[in-house]
Amino acid sequence: MRNIWKSVRLDFSLIKPYGKTICFTMVLPVVFAAVNRSLMTGISFAMCFIAMTTGYTFSIAEKNDMERLYGILPVRKGELVIGRYVFVMIMGLTALVCSLIIQPVMLAILGENVTTLEFLSALVAGIVLFALYTVFQLPGYYRFGSIRGRVFMYIPVAGFLGMLFLTARTPAKSGGLLTAVIHSPILLMVLAVVLVVVAYVISILVSVRIVQNKEM
Amino acid sequence: MKLIISNISGIPIYEQIKQQVKAAIMSGDLQEDETLPSLRTLAKDLKISVLTVTRAYTELEEEGFVKNIQGRGCYVLGRGSELLREQLICKIENNLTEAISAARVANLSREELHRLLDILMEEKADE
Amino acid sequence: MNNYLEVKNLSKSFDNFCLRDITFTLPKGYIMGLIGPNGSGKTTTVKLILNMLKRTSGEVRILGLDNIAKEQEVKKCVGVVFDSNYFSDDWKVRQVEKSVSVFYENWNTQRFSELLDRFQISPAKKVKELSKGMQMKLMLACAFSYDAKLLILDEPTSGLDPVSRDELLHILAEYIEDGEHSVLFSTHITGDLERAADFITYIRYGELFFSGGKDEFVDGFRIVRGGREEFTEELREKMLGSRAFPTGFEALVKTEDLRQFAHLSVEPAAIDDIVVFTSRGGEQYA
Repeated sequence: MRNIWKSVRLDFSLIKPYGKTICFTMVLPVVFAAVNRSLMTGISFAMCFIAMTTGYTFSIAEKNDMERLYGILPVRKGELVIGRYVFVMIMGLTALVCSLIIQPVMLAILGENVTTLEFLSALVAGIVLFALYTVFQLPGYYRFGSIRGRVFMYIPVAGFLGMLFLTARTPAKSGGLLTAVIHSPILLMVLAVVLVVVAYVISILVSVRIVQNKEM
Repeated sequence: MKLIISNISGIPIYEQIKQQVKAAIMSGDLQEDETLPSLRTLAKDLKISVLTVTRAYTELEEEGFVKNIQGRGCYVLGRGSELLREQLICKIENNLTEAISAARVANLSREELHRLLDILMEEKADE
Repeated sequence: MNNYLEVKNLSKSFDNFCLRDITFTLPKGYIMGLIGPNGSGKTTTVKLILNMLKRTSGEVRILGLDNIAKEQEVKKCVGVVFDSNYFSDDWKVRQVEKSVSVFYENWNTQRFSELLDRFQISPAKKVKELSKGMQMKLMLACAFSYDAKLLILDEPTSGLDPVSRDELLHILAEYIEDGEHSVLFSTHITGDLERAADFITYIRYGELFFSGGKDEFVDGFRIVRGGREEFTEELREKMLGSRAFPTGFEALVKTEDLRQFAHLSVEPAAIDDIVVFTSRGGEQYA
């Protein structure tokens, strides 16, 4: 367990020099939310952007041939992998929480009121979207490296475009997702969370397997 | 004590160490009960392998010049030590034998050889 | 336990290369040079020792512990220097310590800053701003700060100037001075090992050619030189490698066969001579 935290810290120190860039990209979704007058759009963008930053750790490690450092540190390969997932989740959660604070305030200033329902559905959608983006992406990076694994970055993008397409087609107030949430919000949320957990567990298992079979 | 190692002399490094330690003992540069430099420190300072120094010290011990006391270092046994004396006598014998062979080639008589020795010893005594 | 590294019958098969049956032992307190031409299997051996590659068969014990079953414990006492640094380029030296030190319970911060002082590495500099020699010293400083008992260096001196190489040898000699540390030093620049190494392990085309004391290794061979007419078929059979040219020849022979070559000019062989003449390059000349 302690080794996992050490690995998480190692990942944070990897992206530390890129901290400003990441913070700057996180400002953009606020603008999108303001322009579209929609919390859902803002959150979707935010989660998409932050999911893309998970590739940073891989490309930095690859650029510096840090597989060799990982190879000599006294930690299990599995602990390093889980550490990276925890790191990614912390990044996602931080982005989600920040967006859920800043964006409604922003919208309120613009005179757009965010209802509790909208807020909750944005929260759940954010979690689901982020999980969707990352559960494919991470094993992709582990398997194919940061260059070829980048293909898996298009899964989040495609997901995002699909989401945008759906929300654009249906009026915000009576969208398919929203209607379902209205009918049984609790059930849907529980279902979503369970799905997310299962997806991560499978993704982690796949990644650990990939890394353990990999030779440096 | 001074130790100078040459890389191009063709003499193995352990042999160079041995010769120089022996010379230092003979000349009185190294006194009885003095310790030789620590094996590992010497290896570090001369930039040579620990095993090379080990070999030199072991052979010096076998030849009766020093005594290795585990954990304390290598002590010089002094010129009076029995083994060292034997060593020296052996060396003298070898050198004299060589001198005799040379004398034979040069057709020098026994008396002439004795006289040569006396002269040389007197010269040494003068120094 | 007196052996810090024991490698027994270590083998690894790749599609186009095989490391076969490598066995050697490095006792505590000594430096071992791992030599051989490029592509002979030195780096593969190092990576198998570190379990960065999966061995096909054989056994590796570090400080008496199996390198796979006890991987975490083993790695706490092993320091590694590769030919280039393995930290993030953008880290400052200070950040390197922060990132790496958490993994070692016995990390000594004071020792690390003393070493930086001694190696003249500024803690505020980024890794990419350091010279190659400095980067190597940074890796050493890390290994020394958690008091690694076994130091493994993989081609650390390729691309280093003579000053840095000399400094490295001095640092290693100091490191083993107390008799409690050992070094496995893989290199093709054998001049570095000529004096400082205690043991030599020579791997050739994936197979073990020799492992034992360096003096014994060097004493085992001689270089002989002679005129063309002395380059006879009979003598050639006893040569391990030779090079003939219009005015004469030179060859590597075993010291035990020396009697047959007594009429020729005989010289001690350097490690380099032995490697050159016993490798493919030497055979091409013959």
